[in-house]
Amino acid sequence: MIQDERVVLPEWGGSANLARRFAREIALSQPPPIRASLFVTCIIDQLYPEVGVSVVRVLRRCGVEVDFPEGQTCCGQPLYNSGFTQEARKLAVRTLDALDGSQYVVVPSGSCGAMLRVFYEDLFADDPVMLERAEALRDRVYEFTEFLTEVLGVDTSPVERPAADGPAATRTVAYHPSCHLLREMRVREAPQQLLNNAVSVELVDLPDAEQCCGFGGTFAVKYPHISEEMLADKLASIRQSGADTVTACDMGCLMHIGGAISRQNLPVSVQHIAQVLDGGEG
Amino acid sequence: MSTGNIGIPTAEFLASVREALGRTDEPPADPYAPLQDDLAALTEQAATVRERVARELPDLSRQLGETAALRGWNVARCGGVEEALDYVVSLATQLGATSVARSEQEVFESVPVDAALAGVGAMCWPAVYDGPEGREAVRRRLAESGMGITGADYAIAETGSVVVLPRQGLSRLVSVVPPVHVAIVRPQDILGTLDDLFALRRLEFHRDGAQGNGDMGSYLNFITGPSRTADIEQTIVVGVHGPREVHMVLLDEE
Amino acid sequence: MAEVATREFVAASQAAVRDEQLRQALRRAGSGFDGTRREAIAEVTEDVWEDWRQQARSIKEHTIAHLDYYLAMLERNVQAAGGQVHFARDAAQANAIVSEIARQQGVRTVTKSKSMVSEELGLNHVLEEQGVDVFETDLGEYIIQLAEETPSHLVAPALHKTRGQVAQLFAEQLGVPYSEDIEEMARIARVALRQKFLEADMGISGANFLVAETGSLVIITNEGNGRLCTSAPRIHVGLAGMEKVIPSLQDLAVFLRLLPRSATGQRITSYMSMVTGPRRADDEDGPEEFHLVIVDNGRSRLLRDPALRESLYCIRCGACLNVCPIYQRVGGHAYGWVYPGPIGSIVTPGLVGVAQAKDLPNASTLCGACRDACPVQINIPRMLLHLRHQQAESDDTNQRTVSDTDKALAQGFATVMSSPWLLRLGRLVGRALSAPLARSGKIRQTRLPLVSRWTRARDLPVPAERSFRDRWRDELSKGGN
Repeated sequence: MIQDERVVLPEWGGSANLARRFAREIALSQPPPIRASLFVTCIIDQLYPEVGVSVVRVLRRCGVEVDFPEGQTCCGQPLYNSGFTQEARKLAVRTLDALDGSQYVVVPSGSCGAMLRVFYEDLFADDPVMLERAEALRDRVYEFTEFLTEVLGVDTSPVERPAADGPAATRTVAYHPSCHLLREMRVREAPQQLLNNAVSVELVDLPDAEQCCGFGGTFAVKYPHISEEMLADKLASIRQSGADTVTACDMGCLMHIGGAISRQNLPVSVQHIAQVLDGGEG
Repeated sequence: MSTGNIGIPTAEFLASVREALGRTDEPPADPYAPLQDDLAALTEQAATVRERVARELPDLSRQLGETAALRGWNVARCGGVEEALDYVVSLATQLGATSVARSEQEVFESVPVDAALAGVGAMCWPAVYDGPEGREAVRRRLAESGMGITGADYAIAETGSVVVLPRQGLSRLVSVVPPVHVAIVRPQDILGTLDDLFALRRLEFHRDGAQGNGDMGSYLNFITGPSRTADIEQTIVVGVHGPREVHMVLLDEE
Repeated sequence: MAEVATREFVAASQAAVRDEQLRQALRRAGSGFDGTRREAIAEVTEDVWEDWRQQARSIKEHTIAHLDYYLAMLERNVQAAGGQVHFARDAAQANAIVSEIARQQGVRTVTKSKSMVSEELGLNHVLEEQGVDVFETDLGEYIIQLAEETPSHLVAPALHKTRGQVAQLFAEQLGVPYSEDIEEMARIARVALRQKFLEADMGISGANFLVAETGSLVIITNEGNGRLCTSAPRIHVGLAGMEKVIPSLQDLAVFLRLLPRSATGQRITSYMSMVTGPRRADDEDGPEEFHLVIVDNGRSRLLRDPALRESLYCIRCGACLNVCPIYQRVGGHAYGWVYPGPIGSIVTPGLVGVAQAKDLPNASTLCGACRDACPVQINIPRMLLHLRHQQAESDDTNQRTVSDTDKALAQGFATVMSSPWLLRLGRLVGRALSAPLARSGKIRQTRLPLVSRWTRARDLPVPAERSFRDRWRDELSKGGN
């Protein structure tokens, strides 16, 4: 664990100075290298690869040795949520195989993270061998922002802010806490702490932030009339927040929210939190 | 004539529940702790409650008054009987109540409301059914009374509530039918919490021996503030089917 | 049993989301109830609240696991107090019991305080058919009885009605002048029902709790109608689902702390009435007979399945409805039966049959707000998942209701995801197929089934030109950015 380090996280994509300084501090304190496997999630892999790139960049800047187990595909949650437990188990086995031996598993999604950490145990409740493997995985799985704060201790040390002549706040960001991150993985503070500490970010209040956006996987197409009502309310909240960027820790929710923002041509950019912390690139 | 059991036999019903649970008719392997209390344990629990309440009485009395006010009671803290009588009389005068129903309880021996109310022309009468009037007449009179006065068997500081135990002399209807209810609370009626109340009631229930042989009476009314509803547009309205106005007369001493 | 319209969920919910008055009513109620609930929790502190939840949960776990034992204890003690207990396996039996008591006793008028079980049984209809006048006395229930509707919320039955609609109803049904003044409307109901309370031969109540130790029935109310129904008539009939029993009087304290706070945010309700048998010989008043009707009506089905058993811990506070984003959009009636919202989506399939209520477990985003709000920590999302699993894969063909399309899609997805190689192929095929539909990387409009249900309100991204794993292999694995 890195503790009592002055970690600069967010937008040093542009600041070679800060990057060097950080690297020097890491080198000086010489913590044991932290190795983490990225479980990138199928939605990022296939639809939003740039998010995965930002995740890797942020982790590396924090001194993490990142690897990508190539056997991974999907965690099985879409199947599990639709009741297809048998099919979901096959994908869960594949995922467990791929992630065997990882020191930490970082998942840039509260929803897929919940699948790995919480639902695999339910999935294998009647299979002692697999259950043991699921339990072993449980304690190594971290959602991306949770990993930064809990394991790397980014939240316990004040994020260093540049001197007065540093970059001023340039973007207003609204954070949507995704349901599974909040209520299955129980991660509430970490993303907001990171955003609060990000120098170029002004975190604004999102009204009714903890209301579901109406995605819910297949729910969005099975009951579009309800989903769209929920989505409309979420969009109204985003508009009301005055943010120029909406972010979350789940590309599922952001595909849903972003799909409507795009349809309505709203002047709001939609970014995964890793992209925001990566200086808005990607 | 009483109607006997006309459902399916108990044994059959319970067997189907057991079957669904996949269990035998053994009692719980891990006995439920509260139900293991014998009379000695219950007596001790009740004594502990009484001791603590006696020790904390000034605080509890203050807490009762504050909480009750928050829950919608008009709280009148009275130093003595005279003050309490004055309060009741001025209330009846304000309401223009000419008929005031009351229960027949010990408290009215030390707080003689009948005479005091008579002094301002209000008729205060005991709502008991064994009088010459008969049940229907008493109910009609109750419905026409402007005010109902009862004592309190308990008053709960935690919730700001008055508890009455309807019985001989204490109609179930005195505290609910008239539009205004006045409850006279003496220091010895005050308890701290819901747990205190149930500890005392459990002792009452089990007092006469084995479980089920005791009796704690047919009814317990736990009253906290006026009757109210929010069934139309979640807008609170007081005085639907019960009293719109309730007064807690807190006697500091009898 | 009450009419089951759960099959109509889609059509009913489509109509509901277009109903502007319903929308307003739901918004007001949901935020109102939930706001005060949160305040009430903050007042006692989260820690204390969690402690209470845990206590209540433990009591329910123990009781339901030994339900037969506590029902037997309850029956003994109700009898010892001079009351009668009647067990009913289903709605027809329960209705027959009440109907028979009414017949034997020559009952002409019944006043009722709120009882969800009675809604479940459709009891009013049965009594009316035998010539008994039945009056609902809870203001909300009275309104929906006049409107010939069913409750749309567990604690606020007429939540879906605006004041204007109630005013209209009162004017038409009671012949009073039209008034939107809520106090005036409450007064009208008071006047209309006051005489009924004193006339009625039989009072019918529900039960919030049944205390096995003492044989007591506990009801929690605000209006005072429950007190009148259980005090004035010469017969009192209590109706309760069999899960309502708790072991000891001591257990009641924690539930009295949890239930009102969870339901309306009240710290305590105006009234709690505890009925133990009929009036005693020297009591001033009270019913001469006390009957307790304990109803299974499908509950043993929930009991039998360990994954659904905890749905019987429910104390019907309605907190899950007030926080549910689905309930808040569609209201109670769309669910098609007596118990709406998240808990209804669990118990309704259990009580009326899974095949009757296919949509209910699926009409949820699994957001989990219901579980966090539940005062007895019922894990509703897990049970929804369990019911979906039964629909998809149950050995029992009555329960397996998933469509062939859904099954084929699931299997197709599973196949694509079964290896990185197939996933790559899948992506290339996906890109090729979606390219003609897309403009600047997004599908805006399509008539493709399913996909069009997404794109009617949202753009859809197409697979990226290079997947993350491609970029990992080509750039990132070599340490590049």
